[in-house]
Amino acid sequence: MRLNSEILAALSEATPGLRRYARAIGAGAAAAVADGLVQSALQSVGARLYARELRPAGPEEARLESYIALTALAARKSLDAPPPGPRHPPIVHGLAALPFEERAVLLLISLEGFGYDAVARIVGAPRDNVMEWLRRARRSLSGDVPATQSADTPRPHPQAPHLRIVK
Amino acid sequence: MTSLPTYIDETDLHALVDGELDPDHRRRVEDHLLINPADAMLVETWRRQNAALRAAFEPIALETPPLSLRTAATRAATQTPGPIETGATHWGRPGATPRPRRIEDLRVRQRRQAMLISALLLVSGLALAGLAAFVFASGRSAAPPGPVVGAFTQGYVSRAGLTYATYTVDAHPVEFDAARRDELADRLKTRVGFSRIPDLSTLNLHLLGGRIVPGASGPAGFLIYERADGGRIGLYFERAVFAVAPPAPKGGFGVTAIEWRAADFAFVLVGPLPPDAMQEAAERAAAQVAAQVAAPTP
Repeated sequence: MRLNSEILAALSEATPGLRRYARAIGAGAAAAVADGLVQSALQSVGARLYARELRPAGPEEARLESYIALTALAARKSLDAPPPGPRHPPIVHGLAALPFEERAVLLLISLEGFGYDAVARIVGAPRDNVMEWLRRARRSLSGDVPATQSADTPRPHPQAPHLRIVK
Repeated sequence: MTSLPTYIDETDLHALVDGELDPDHRRRVEDHLLINPADAMLVETWRRQNAALRAAFEPIALETPPLSLRTAATRAATQTPGPIETGATHWGRPGATPRPRRIEDLRVRQRRQAMLISALLLVSGLALAGLAAFVFASGRSAAPPGPVVGAFTQGYVSRAGLTYATYTVDAHPVEFDAARRDELADRLKTRVGFSRIPDLSTLNLHLLGGRIVPGASGPAGFLIYERADGGRIGLYFERAVFAVAPPAPKGGFGVTAIEWRAADFAFVLVGPLPPDAMQEAAERAAAQVAAQVAAPTP
């Protein structure tokens, strides 16, 4: 089987960004856990390439697929993530308090520099949902919790990030 | 949220921060921010958030990733069917990390080379065996016993023809002429073992003489008879090694050869006479030889 070396090179080049994203979406999770997620995501993409389930059109498409895999893995893992420690900056504590979708959307846009359409594809949601999650995330981080938020979805209190919904 | 003009909403502000606006739209939003400090503050807050996020996590992207991560996709894409997507950290699990690809490639290459060499050896061995079998079989079939006898029997006629051609035209065709007939008989008796000289004078063939010649398998006797017109015929006789029926008269090169057997000897009469005359001479000679065999000389 001949794999496009360009695709594999793109995945290798995307690794530093994936590690950054994994650490951020884990809200300060241990480096080993975050790297484990990245490895699982990369292996998943590589295996789907090998099985020809995945045929990315180009390097950027391959990079997107790796973020899709990592986001999906992180979504399952997020419930087990421990809260950030006191040495983490306030922004990390703010991230940890966000629901997973809002955190993922905010990080993909602000940290990883994806466009809105790409983010909608990564999280597997319509663009309107993405915009709504982005609005909520930024308001939560700036301490401006809108009135509609409490009526929509119950959320952990921003002042008590260690209390988390576990079920 | 402060009041926004109808054509600029919060989505536009987010898009401005995230660089999602085209230049024209961006200029309008920036104009809007100039007259709406509250929105400008909001945008500035979000930009600070972005900067804080980058400050917190950018150093991670500047680290050199572990080798296992840099090659994870390549290894999975070329060797393993894929990880168990449980999200567990299983990179230390036995079997999760395949052996380095170069070693595996090397082993595959070595295996292929060994298979190729084995196949080549097998093919060359089979070719050698086939060649040997062919040579052996052809060598055996080329030497059956029948043709050997044929060659020997053919040898008497050929030898007789050769002797005739050699001596009948010679200046001294005979070793002992007819005047030394007794001496010739003794010599033939001693060397060839047969000393009875047929008398063909009734056929107008007078004995010129005889000599000892090399035969096919030993010394042979060669008697020359001459006609009045100078034509000469030769009688060649040698102890026959193989008891094979004499072949039919053979002609060629202007002479006729008639072979027969008597008393363990092979006789060949060679001469340029017509076949009928040759046949008659041969019959006469054979009758005299047989008679002399039946009544041995004292």
